[in-house]
Amino acid sequence: MKHILALLVLFASPLTGQGYRLRLDGRFQAVGYRGVQLDSIAVTDTVVGSGGGPTTPDGFAVRCPSGAPTALFFRPGAIQRGAPFVTTADASLWGFGVRGLSAHAAARAAVDFTGSNAWPGTDPALQLLTAYAEYSVERLTARAGRQLNGNRLGMIGFDGASITVRDGRHGLDASVYGGWGLARGAALPVTSPALNPISDFQPGKRQLLLGAEAGWSGRLGDVRAEYLREVDPRTDYFVSERVGFAAVIRPVERWSVTGGADYDLAAGWWGSAEATLGYTARMVSGALGVRRYRPHFDLWTIWGAFSPVPYTAVQGQVSIRALPQMQVRARGERYRFSDADVSTPLVSVERSGWRGELGVTASAAPSWTFDAGYTREFGPGAASVGTSASVTYAPAARPYAVTLHGAAMDRPLELRFSESVLHLYGVDTRYDVSPSFRLELGAVRYAEDRQRPDPAAIDWGQWRATLRAVVTIGSGDDLGRLPPAVRRMPGGRAQR
Amino acid sequence: MITAGLLVLTLLQQPEQGFDHPKHKALFPSCTSCHAGVAKKGESLWPDPVSCTTCHDGMIEKTVVWRPPTSPRRSNLRFDHLGHAAKAQGKSLSCSVCHTLAGEPRMAVRAPVIQRCLDCHGIRTAHLAAPDTACTTCHVPLVRAESFTRQDVARLRPPPSHAAPDFLSRNGHGAVSRQTVGTACATCHAREFCYQCHAGSAPPRAITWLASDPRSTAIVARAAPATHGDNFAERHATVAAASTTGCTGCHVRADCLECHRPSAARGAGYHPDGFLTRHPASAYAREASCSDCHNVGVFCSSCHARAGLGAAGVLRSGYHDARPFFLVGHGQAARQGLESCVSCHAERDCLTCHSAVGGRRFNPHGPGFDGARMRRKNFAMCTVCHGAAVP
Repeated sequence: MKHILALLVLFASPLTGQGYRLRLDGRFQAVGYRGVQLDSIAVTDTVVGSGGGPTTPDGFAVRCPSGAPTALFFRPGAIQRGAPFVTTADASLWGFGVRGLSAHAAARAAVDFTGSNAWPGTDPALQLLTAYAEYSVERLTARAGRQLNGNRLGMIGFDGASITVRDGRHGLDASVYGGWGLARGAALPVTSPALNPISDFQPGKRQLLLGAEAGWSGRLGDVRAEYLREVDPRTDYFVSERVGFAAVIRPVERWSVTGGADYDLAAGWWGSAEATLGYTARMVSGALGVRRYRPHFDLWTIWGAFSPVPYTAVQGQVSIRALPQMQVRARGERYRFSDADVSTPLVSVERSGWRGELGVTASAAPSWTFDAGYTREFGPGAASVGTSASVTYAPAARPYAVTLHGAAMDRPLELRFSESVLHLYGVDTRYDVSPSFRLELGAVRYAEDRQRPDPAAIDWGQWRATLRAVVTIGSGDDLGRLPPAVRRMPGGRAQR
Repeated sequence: MITAGLLVLTLLQQPEQGFDHPKHKALFPSCTSCHAGVAKKGESLWPDPVSCTTCHDGMIEKTVVWRPPTSPRRSNLRFDHLGHAAKAQGKSLSCSVCHTLAGEPRMAVRAPVIQRCLDCHGIRTAHLAAPDTACTTCHVPLVRAESFTRQDVARLRPPPSHAAPDFLSRNGHGAVSRQTVGTACATCHAREFCYQCHAGSAPPRAITWLASDPRSTAIVARAAPATHGDNFAERHATVAAASTTGCTGCHVRADCLECHRPSAARGAGYHPDGFLTRHPASAYAREASCSDCHNVGVFCSSCHARAGLGAAGVLRSGYHDARPFFLVGHGQAARQGLESCVSCHAERDCLTCHSAVGGRRFNPHGPGFDGARMRRKNFAMCTVCHGAAVP
């Protein structure tokens, strides 16, 4: 059988009208930074440090696990070097003799040439992100295979099928999808060892997933409702069950009101929600709104039972293009967590916080773009204040661009001795060898000064070098015969 | 006379020849003496180079080197000289009507004065402000302008109507295209132009009324609609969730996956450059829902573990070293930033104290906890802490 398949592949010739697009995005990076080494010391050998806590005689702050005879701490370790090479391939095929029928796949291969495993995401080495067949016509889209659906409830990955029907005249559409789910935020099943680096409890089987959504789109606005349930097939219990709502209202030109919310049917509480009033004009755009955020945890972890509390925030942002060559932007947000209903007399933790940003982008001269920003945030656990600036030279009608950038940042952390000052500076270059071949080369230096009051001021300073190549190849530009999902021009948005 | 005048129009398509008409005005009382083709079928539009040597022989006048063009004129005009010459029979029209400004002498020829065309055809506006119905008066659709190159297409200037604030909306060009896509729009555009943006599912039917012509992509049409404004990427979530159909008018799934695809090794996409260095503050306070794109296990925990931040089964040293008593007072921080906790800690860490069987029986349930509902939805989860004796 294998021989027959090999012969078929070897002698297969394209059918009439068959077409394809393939985009390869390869990125090689080189990085080196100081690692850490876990060490221990007998509790009886520790001394009281300058901060009042236990330290080693040579000044390393230590933690003494309750009842344990030894205390633990980290010493500076060996330099960790990584050389990851990650390639993402997106492919589309069409022209199978049925108009609207196409196939799509995206996969990622990652390898660290140093073998040090110093870079996250290189395990497993090959990941299938999406792979599905699609049949799409004006009123119907059906897909089968590995898919990532984006909606109010997040990016939902699954191996299964979906079908969407549309009534364009009345602005109605409805979708149903189902299959075996993938883990949140990953193209891996929840059973993958790669998802369990700290030896946590792990499900033994993949969850079964069923979702539905329906929407209406009209001149004055759009509304949409979604439902998603995931079930553990081993126990028939819910992994999650949620509903979401979202709406956009456009009462008058340039103004819009957007809002949405999701409700966790399994936990019995409202999740995240937001409502925003927006204004968009040629010179000015802005938004003012409130939002609420509560994390979602699947029920096959215990975290939902630990009662994560939401925060409520008021936020605003404005962008003013005072001159055609200059844009000024500002945004800010203030938030406050709900009462956590705990009493912690020995440890005080901030309950509210804020964050803000000011920035300006200017094109003072043709081909030159200057950007500068100032960010500041303060909240529970951490805070930071930083400035950044960049200058880009990208001459029109020339295939290259050069960007110099730099930043400085203080990042005091509330819960640890690790306040640090970080300086970042680097250069990025881009060269479009042809409309379908781009090269990028960059280097950046992180210079960190950890301001710990003990010798464990292990700085994270490092150099990073990046080489990236993006290649797009394909057959023909007869876009009229292309399925909708692949009608993207070479050199278009996908080239970012 | 009009045919002669129209001939001059054609001559001016060859500015590199630099023929000085005013200088020769005394020699050529009639335009057709050199440009017979404008009035007579089968004749050349251009003079015979030999006729120039009558004077430019190197003795009377210096020699000149000139060859008539061999390729057709690059134009998208419906205009042809013979047709206009026929219609002008018996009328007091001359070449200078189109090829000179009012009051200038006959041989002060210049490129066709477009306003003259508009005046004769009863179009009372500036050229590009002409009504949509007027385009086809003078222009052929792009697909029939065979001599046009991509560079010619790229040089086409947009009419002022395209700069209207809502032009990119479906009430703007969408509504207009349903009326004029096959006529006015087709003057400059073809199907591929529309597909630059309308790449999503179920593109408007009107696009299919346009013919196919790859040259049309010489006009770049990737501008975001006015509704997007600046910094739209940062606030698009709710709009995208509610207006999925609207998004798919221009976007395909791959556009979303440019950022919303879990990838640990990508460069800056959603996040600004250098975000890694300031992610603690952003992650602690959950500026965004990190776990929508980043799996805590494969992304956060694996990196934190390498940096000495992973708990890995025991309550190790490392992170909360600024608070000696953090372990006994972490409740508020944990409920506020539980997603951050689980990026370093495993469940078994917490069960050391928070388990009802084998632990120290500290109750972790807090505001909003609905035990009966959770038990009903997933009894197995309750047994992790409570064993078989779930209350």
